[in-house]
Amino acid sequence: MTTKYQWNNIFLTIIVIVLFIFPFVTDSRTWTILLTQIFIFSILAMSYDILLGYTGIVSFGHAMFFGIGAYTTGVMLDRVEPTIGVFILSIVTGMIIAGIISFIVGLLTLRLKSHFYAMLTLALSGLFLVLTEKWRSLTSGNDGFTFRAPEVFKDRAVFYLVVLVCLVVTYILLRRFVQSPLGHILVAVRENEQRTKSLGFKVLHYKVIASVVAGVVASLAGALYAISLRFVNTSVLTMDITLDALLMTIIGGVGTLIGPIIGAGVIELSQHYLSGLAKEYPIFERWIIFFGILYILVVIFFPAGIVGTIRQAYYKRKKPHVVEGRSNSEDL
Amino acid sequence: MELLMNLTINGLATGMLIFLLAAGLTLIFGLMDVLNFAHGGLFAWGAFSSVWFYSLTESFVLAILGAILTGIILGFITEKLIIKPVYGNHVQQILITLGFMLVLTEMLKVVFGPNQIAAKTPAYFAGSWEIGDVIIIKYRVFIIVVGFLVFGIVQYILKKTKVGLIVRAGVMNKEMVQTLGININNVFLYVFIAGAVLASLGGALMAPYSGVIYAEMGMEFAILGFIVVVIGGMGSFPGSLLAAILVGLTGSYMAYYVPSLSLAVNMLIMAIVLIFRPQGLFRVKG
Repeated sequence: MTTKYQWNNIFLTIIVIVLFIFPFVTDSRTWTILLTQIFIFSILAMSYDILLGYTGIVSFGHAMFFGIGAYTTGVMLDRVEPTIGVFILSIVTGMIIAGIISFIVGLLTLRLKSHFYAMLTLALSGLFLVLTEKWRSLTSGNDGFTFRAPEVFKDRAVFYLVVLVCLVVTYILLRRFVQSPLGHILVAVRENEQRTKSLGFKVLHYKVIASVVAGVVASLAGALYAISLRFVNTSVLTMDITLDALLMTIIGGVGTLIGPIIGAGVIELSQHYLSGLAKEYPIFERWIIFFGILYILVVIFFPAGIVGTIRQAYYKRKKPHVVEGRSNSEDL
Repeated sequence: MELLMNLTINGLATGMLIFLLAAGLTLIFGLMDVLNFAHGGLFAWGAFSSVWFYSLTESFVLAILGAILTGIILGFITEKLIIKPVYGNHVQQILITLGFMLVLTEMLKVVFGPNQIAAKTPAYFAGSWEIGDVIIIKYRVFIIVVGFLVFGIVQYILKKTKVGLIVRAGVMNKEMVQTLGININNVFLYVFIAGAVLASLGGALMAPYSGVIYAEMGMEFAILGFIVVVIGGMGSFPGSLLAAILVGLTGSYMAYYVPSLSLAVNMLIMAIVLIFRPQGLFRVKG
């Protein structure tokens, strides 16, 4: 086991080093921006996976926390001055707000059964969207507003590196989190909530922790997203963001942290190429259809996602006598 | 007074449209325990196909029948391809039907074009009656009548007929019904098709009501439908009727008296109901 982990770590380190060197080797603006986008959505998808993959709850309100991060950063950089200090402060503020709101929302909603919870998060994020649209003095309503990012980020490569650092740090912290005893309890909740409860764990307590962690990380992703566009509007709060995170998570593999990152890469890259293809072939203008079909096929044929499927194949090859303990097709 | 009457009739008509949507959802969720997020897609397809049939035949009856036919075909395809592989797993149901919803919405744009389409009200429902100062739009009355009719029919079938008995028994104990020589898979297929037909019927009636249809209307109304189902208590038929009327009426009053709240009021009702009574207003007995 240790060797496997070591190999994994070495492999990951090499990839991260390559990614760090990337902007110094090439000048391609498109790729820098595209990769930055992938990193940002990787952070969001990882945070979603804490809920879906590790705790087994489907939230439709995840865009709410993404939006909180985006708006906090946008508003603060717009109202105060766009310096690095304010930028960091705005991220921290966004995280604190997201943490408080996810705590309250979690306490209110997590007692409900899965589908009621999904509905209620949908309703609450809908409320949030309406609030943002109506609070024109703060958010400029539907149109959104542009703001100036800190001077350093004018250089796309610098921002790329900052986002990459955020991604690596988030990954390491979240991995510590899911491998901690607390993370194992979350997995226990996912696998069998009743049994976990009867073992004496306060299930609600742990679910709320998972929801706060996911909310805080999502707000970081939102803040970085706002900076990358230097613009924020209500689209950061729509269902589309939640759906993207959901799709990235299940395509990459639920219940792993690498999975959502790979999923984010797959989705962002294919979005990029499909919308590029649309210029030549009109059929690709409706590329969302391909996503819908992909969604359906993944759920039916690869419920474990890319990473999960590879992992299962690996276990089967290595130890055929061990029954894979975790099967996503059951009830995640 | 006349204002209140007008608002009430508006609210009732909207409520009935939402009820038709929610009725299908209730049927599918309450009986088959399937969360169908693609329901709004079926609704939108009903609307588009009825408008298409109407422009083709100039007959409202044929347009409605066309929409129902669309509902049957789509319902059949959906159950066979999408729902069947994921029976009994809520999370996968949510994911797969969401994916199908995307496909349905985009397919609408492929088939009918991405623009909004105007929908006409048939001549005999156009116009309104005036009773004193109260103006009653005929089409709204028609919708209200259809809504109550559908409620009565479905309720009758479920409670009084043998088909309803089989369906309810199948939900309680699938294996038992199976051993009695009834093919429960077929029963579920028919229930799903019935739900899809209710959705497409709702869409077909919706089109002349709003006057304009667009591909994204499916998701908007599906959310309303879900809110209603949750408020009413998942799977409770009278519950969703009551909740639909409640949502329709508050929406209509709020749009007039407190416009700034009108967008959020449904969500608020649902949040309050869920927090204080997570099982919904009506409890479903086994």
